[in-house]
Amino acid sequence: MEAPPDNDVLWARSLHFSHRDGSPGLAGISLGVRQGEILAVSGPRGSGKTTLLRCLSGLEPVRCGEVWFNSSPVHTLGPMARERLRRDRFGWIDPEPFLVPELNVWENAALPLMLRGAGRRRAKVAALEWLERLDVGEKARSRPRDLQHAERQRVAIARALAHGPTVLFADEPTAPLHRADRAHVLRTLTAAARSHGITVVLATHDAETAALADRTVALLDGRRVHTVHLPDSPDTEGRAACSLSA
Amino acid sequence: MLALRLTRAARPAVQLRRLLVAAASAGTGFLLLSCLAHALGHPEAASASAQRLAWCAVPLAATVYLALAVARTDPGTRPRPGLSAVGLGPARLMAVSALTTALSCTLGSLLALLVFLHLRGDLTGMPFDGAAAGMLASDRSLPLPAALTLLAVLPATATTAVALALRPRDPVPPPRTVRGFGRFGAYGGSPRKETFGAAGRFRGGAAQPKAPAPADPRPTGGRAAGTTVADGDAPAPGTGADPEPPAPAPAPDTEVEPPSGLPWGVALVTAGLAVQAYAGRTAPAPALAVLLGWLLTATGLVLAAPGLTHLCGRLLQSTRPGALRLLAGRVLMAEAARIGRPLGVVCAVASAGYATTALYDGTGPAPASGPLSALGVLVVAGSTLATLLTAAVEARQCRAETVAALLRLGAPAGMLRGAAVLRAAALLALFGPLTLGIAALSALPLR
Repeated sequence: MEAPPDNDVLWARSLHFSHRDGSPGLAGISLGVRQGEILAVSGPRGSGKTTLLRCLSGLEPVRCGEVWFNSSPVHTLGPMARERLRRDRFGWIDPEPFLVPELNVWENAALPLMLRGAGRRRAKVAALEWLERLDVGEKARSRPRDLQHAERQRVAIARALAHGPTVLFADEPTAPLHRADRAHVLRTLTAAARSHGITVVLATHDAETAALADRTVALLDGRRVHTVHLPDSPDTEGRAACSLSA
Repeated sequence: MLALRLTRAARPAVQLRRLLVAAASAGTGFLLLSCLAHALGHPEAASASAQRLAWCAVPLAATVYLALAVARTDPGTRPRPGLSAVGLGPARLMAVSALTTALSCTLGSLLALLVFLHLRGDLTGMPFDGAAAGMLASDRSLPLPAALTLLAVLPATATTAVALALRPRDPVPPPRTVRGFGRFGAYGGSPRKETFGAAGRFRGGAAQPKAPAPADPRPTGGRAAGTTVADGDAPAPGTGADPEPPAPAPAPDTEVEPPSGLPWGVALVTAGLAVQAYAGRTAPAPALAVLLGWLLTATGLVLAAPGLTHLCGRLLQSTRPGALRLLAGRVLMAEAARIGRPLGVVCAVASAGYATTALYDGTGPAPASGPLSALGVLVVAGSTLATLLTAAVEARQCRAETVAALLRLGAPAGMLRGAAVLRAAALLALFGPLTLGIAALSALPLR
């Protein structure tokens, strides 16, 4: 078994995945994520971005193919070990900010640190620091329901960053936002990741978002493609038949 | 038809809950029919029969409560985006839910009728034919309309209650109060805020509250009317903590509103205990006063329980909690209303049962002991317990998304389970002694 290159923090080889109902997910994806880079995984909806991220982060068991993290295999780990790996080394941002509604904002952001056994004071300081940096520091004591959507998403980013993960997986973190909020969220995310040397794997179907990344991996139908050649959109086909001018 | 299809295709746990409703409804129906039989057998003792019928209100209420809780947790009648698109909106789903409830209750009532006829000896061919023929007045013919009317009471009540409880309502925007300003200001002025560097931003925001408004794309007119008054007033330096003036929401209240019934509940419990103590002064205590006292105590317990649950959660998450206690306590605080009310009912029933056994323990068997009262106790206790468990299931369903997100973060599943166990243990530690204490106090003057 060949060891991955030294500067690749995360590395996948010929990753195949099919969903539980048998529908195809990934078909032989190989990629390497370098230390400290921001890698965009782009592609249209349904191209397997989320599945790839879930496989890389150990949310889904990998049965066919290999995933290596820091020169140790992830695909051979059991569910408990993968859970510990996620808790200690990975961060995850959902498309929707799923915050715990009962906790206030800073407690939400401090939760991963507390889950790792950090003291309450230390967790709070780190969480407040990140909330400040992401411009939601004023709302640190309010409940998630009192915040706007973009603010909640920034809190979710703070929660993912607060425990200093090695790799941050962001699955379409800006999909439900307007463009102003989207740019703000992305800028804060990328700036924070770069300043702390956090590797980011960013799934997006948006070319503008992908432009912020160091490198882009394009997916199409569960395969990695280098140049996307989609068939021309059938914009004229059938239009004459439906035309009312007849 | 759709209700039947949805009912048939549900998972075993859901079917089990519906069967519980049917069983409770069967028990209640049998009790009602027994009252009819008693009235048939003893035409001279009309008041005693009426009293029996009145006692049936307790299992009836417990069963309706259970049916309501089960209908709330029913996944088949939850709003689903796909069904809403084909025209099965909240109103139709409410109808489906009510139909499902009617179905299980009617099933139980029919079962009760069959068992009743069987025990009377009208239906033969199975063991225990006419086993209770004497008690159930088998020498007289059963008036069928009366029996059917009695049996229809429960399905009708339960269906109406479910339809009323689940009727579609538009979400009401929560009333924005300006009270939060003062409290948040009290927090915001504390030196702890200044340690993480928010002080400059806060002061700046207070000094020129209108400055960032033009840069913000949102119109400032979108604010709630109640907050513009407070914003127009020049805020005092201590209360100038509105962090973002154009925000549509006022400075947030950090605390969840605790349920408000606690003082009323405590007052009612003490009043009930006082009434019982007063009734216990004369040697044969007047039954009406004792009943009134127990009723007051039970109502007070039900009213006070959400507040006590909230208090329990608050104690659990106090003094520098870690992740476990934080999750356990805050969830308990948030679910206080949902969990607390059935818990209060269970406590009231348990304390009444404990007091009754304590009362009649020394002086021989209880005057009303018999198979029918045992069935009544079983129905009431089982229904209330099942309601509590169903409420717990409902709370769990509501939190399923959050739990999934926590698991994606890598929260250990064992810790989430530990939080649930901790919640249950805390509730038991608070409500167990409380129930025993109230039962002992209410039994004390009647000995």
